[in-house]
Amino acid sequence: MDCMNKLKVIVGDTMIGVRGDNFSYIFSGARAGMESLVRDGKEWLYRTPTPTFWRALTDNDRGSRFAHKSGMWLGADCFVKCVNFTAKIDDAPIEMPLSPANNAYGGDVEAERATVSFVYETITVPATQVTVTYEVYAGGEIHVHVHYEGREGLPELPVFGMRFIMPTCADRYRYEGLSGETYPDRMAGGIPGVYEIEGLPVTPYLVPQDCNMHMQTKWVEVYRSTVQDNSYKENKETGIRFLAEDGKDFAFACIPYTAMELESATHQEELPPARRTVLTVLGAVRGVGGIDSWGADVEAPYHISAEQDIDYGFWIGGV
Amino acid sequence: MKPDIRWLDDPQTFRVGQLPAHSDHKIYANVNEMERQESSLCQSLNGTWQFAYSVNPMSRPADFYAEDYRADHFDEIQVPCHIELAGYDKLHYTNVRYPWEGKVYRRPAYALGQDRTEDGSFSEAEYNPVGSYRKVFDLAEGLRGKRVCICFEGVEQAVYVWLNGQFVGYAEDSFTPSEFDLTPYIKDQGNVLAVEVYKNSTAAYLEDQDFFRFFGIYRNVTLYAKPKLHIEDLWVKPCLSEDLTKGSVDVQIQISQPPSEVTQAKGQVRIALQDADGRLIGEVIEDAALAVKASFDVEDQVTLWENKNPYLYQMIITLEDERGNVVEVVPCAVGFRHIEIRDKVIFFNGRRLIINGVNRHEWSAEGGRCITMQDMEYDIECFKRNNINAVRTCHYPDQMSWYDLCDRNGIYVMSETNLESHGSWQKETTEPSWNVPGSVPQWKEAVIDRARSNYETFKNHPSILFWSLGNESYAGDNIEAMQRFFKEKDDTRLVHYEGVVHNRAYEDTISDVESRMYAQPADIIEYLENEPKKPFILCEYMHDMGNSLGGMKSYIDLLDRFPMYQGGFIWDYIDQAVYVQDQVTGRKVLRYGGDFDDRSSEYEFSGNGIVFADRTEKPAMQEVKYYYGLHE
Repeated sequence: MDCMNKLKVIVGDTMIGVRGDNFSYIFSGARAGMESLVRDGKEWLYRTPTPTFWRALTDNDRGSRFAHKSGMWLGADCFVKCVNFTAKIDDAPIEMPLSPANNAYGGDVEAERATVSFVYETITVPATQVTVTYEVYAGGEIHVHVHYEGREGLPELPVFGMRFIMPTCADRYRYEGLSGETYPDRMAGGIPGVYEIEGLPVTPYLVPQDCNMHMQTKWVEVYRSTVQDNSYKENKETGIRFLAEDGKDFAFACIPYTAMELESATHQEELPPARRTVLTVLGAVRGVGGIDSWGADVEAPYHISAEQDIDYGFWIGGV
Repeated sequence: MKPDIRWLDDPQTFRVGQLPAHSDHKIYANVNEMERQESSLCQSLNGTWQFAYSVNPMSRPADFYAEDYRADHFDEIQVPCHIELAGYDKLHYTNVRYPWEGKVYRRPAYALGQDRTEDGSFSEAEYNPVGSYRKVFDLAEGLRGKRVCICFEGVEQAVYVWLNGQFVGYAEDSFTPSEFDLTPYIKDQGNVLAVEVYKNSTAAYLEDQDFFRFFGIYRNVTLYAKPKLHIEDLWVKPCLSEDLTKGSVDVQIQISQPPSEVTQAKGQVRIALQDADGRLIGEVIEDAALAVKASFDVEDQVTLWENKNPYLYQMIITLEDERGNVVEVVPCAVGFRHIEIRDKVIFFNGRRLIINGVNRHEWSAEGGRCITMQDMEYDIECFKRNNINAVRTCHYPDQMSWYDLCDRNGIYVMSETNLESHGSWQKETTEPSWNVPGSVPQWKEAVIDRARSNYETFKNHPSILFWSLGNESYAGDNIEAMQRFFKEKDDTRLVHYEGVVHNRAYEDTISDVESRMYAQPADIIEYLENEPKKPFILCEYMHDMGNSLGGMKSYIDLLDRFPMYQGGFIWDYIDQAVYVQDQVTGRKVLRYGGDFDDRSSEYEFSGNGIVFADRTEKPAMQEVKYYYGLHE
């Protein structure tokens, strides 16, 4: 790898910047995560991505009283606490980026790889931890590895993964995976292929609830032309790609709402005006069930135990 | 005959002056009309009517039926239309609990004792809205000088009818046609039809379906004229040889003539059977009589009617007067198919029947249960593109056109009688202390009549494979009597009823199939592995409320494991929600139970469709299509 392709690493106060030809990223201790992801001059993050532990209850979830058993994951989803932040330049650990420690680095730190890791502790009882590790490579590709530590005594999870909130609505998204909205216990009818979705449709269930899940996805590309940056006049559509690890897949949903926003509405028209893109990239999804809507549980193979570890990863890069 | 408002309180009075239920055949004055499907013998009364709403019987304009009644202060309403959707009474969605629960204490007459007549329960109720309808009309040319009848295809829930100031009759059963003979009072011009519709009567106990509670004239109203010879009823019964290769048709025709004709009917009945290409297979000519019987053989290899090839023969019956003039032409589709239970397995045309079914309420977000031909045609196309081969008309008979569409498109129909009384026994547990119809003698004839209307109206439809006694009404002597009625009338179809599993004392005399709803796969296996008595079907399964329909594989896999497991009907086809304009955003939005300040309610529980209320497919549909494509 020649020096042209090396990363520039900025060891700043409370944050670490990583830059290259057409990208610049900021990982922030103060914001407890990746605070900025700029590619092609466009910001892709509204707030730092966090682990997600909740889906807006489905009617079957309500009927089977899933929330009464697993409701503490809603709190965990809303109130994420970061307990550790570490970074490495290539393989060399760096101290907490704060002066005076960072005075030593100067402006010309180059690297082939920068690694930043955040450890989050859940507010569940008992608590457990999630470690999210971002490895940035010289071309700007980011590998994200997510590790959930199983803990005995924790109730079943509705989902587990990472939630990315983008500053504005996407124009469209494309993905390679299954047709339509699929869940682990409802995907036999999904036809593998590459699909393009205009806008950010929300499945209009009578009562807003978790929706638009896409199982067995190889990659998803999100395209935006709008930004919040007042100086950006081009309205040029660019995209970002989330890619599964080799031979693996993930589940995702891409809608303008968080689980909490869906959860708060009793009708579609009560949802706020669509203004963000909420992309969840998931390592585990609970089935939706279907036997009845007043007590029958989702079939056992489609539950997610919170007592066992969950590990998955994916890449973020250009389209 | 004088009308009596206390009929509302009496379960034994449910039809007064009503014509007997009969086959739903269409009538034309000649062949040309039949080919154009425009009958000069029929006149639609749909359209704008005069209307007054009253909150209870005491405040209704009781004399509104008089010819000289000044109805200037009446509003206008469209017919057909639910009165609630026209803006008069509050929309209300409730499921099991009767709509008055928590507001007024009621028990069904005679349910808790032979002396408990519950007089005034509905006729003196503080809340029992009344719709008073008036329609002034002239008779169309083709109807003049003939016997004239009126057909209300659907009026919910109890209705009194007057013509030109004279009382004509009374009807209950909201979901089958109610017909009255207007001949004694009809004029060529300036007829005043008055129709008084009550929201509730004792029929309410039998019509506790899980849906929005509407009232009013919500299906077509049609006048029809009977020529001097007229087919009152037709029973075209296709039969098949044991090896299913040879067909024959037994035809029974009831003919009427004007009462003034004192002699026997004169003229001829010409009965022709054609294949689907219009080739004549056979023709029989009989002298017209009040009862005509005929038989046909299909000499060549008969083409069977089935889902993938809904082959229909056509019977055309022509009535000619003594001078040979055609007076009436009646077409009837004929489909040859055979259903039987052999070795506890249902066979259809010699093969094991697999039900890839769905329950369907009649629904549109615009019109409620007042739906259009376009809605029905859309639904059939939706079934076909998603491999749905069967429909249960939950929980009442549908509009007549629906059965024609099912005939033409090979959809297997479970034709359900209008009966659901779960509020009378489904409590925290099964508690039938005041269940109706149960075994209460005074409720027997009402439910037999509902069975009869279902059978007589639709008996000629090849698409109907099952008669269903109703839904969630527990089991007793009266439902047993309904089963007996169907069995006596029709040996070509099976009888279905789920509720008997809650009272197995009637297991041997009610339902040809073990039918359950929402049984877990493990429970089905348990039944099928322990000396099962009857073939098993799920009359409701895969409750598709909101984002659901997960785990369908566990049910479909049973088809390969157990020959006696024969599939089921998904709950259900379409979300029941109503379009309104949002007060805040101005948007046209969908609303459900509780959104009209209606209490108590079951809220979003009516949204269980595999299509949304606007008929767009839910994402789960691709799963339905996949699994229903695995077994034909």
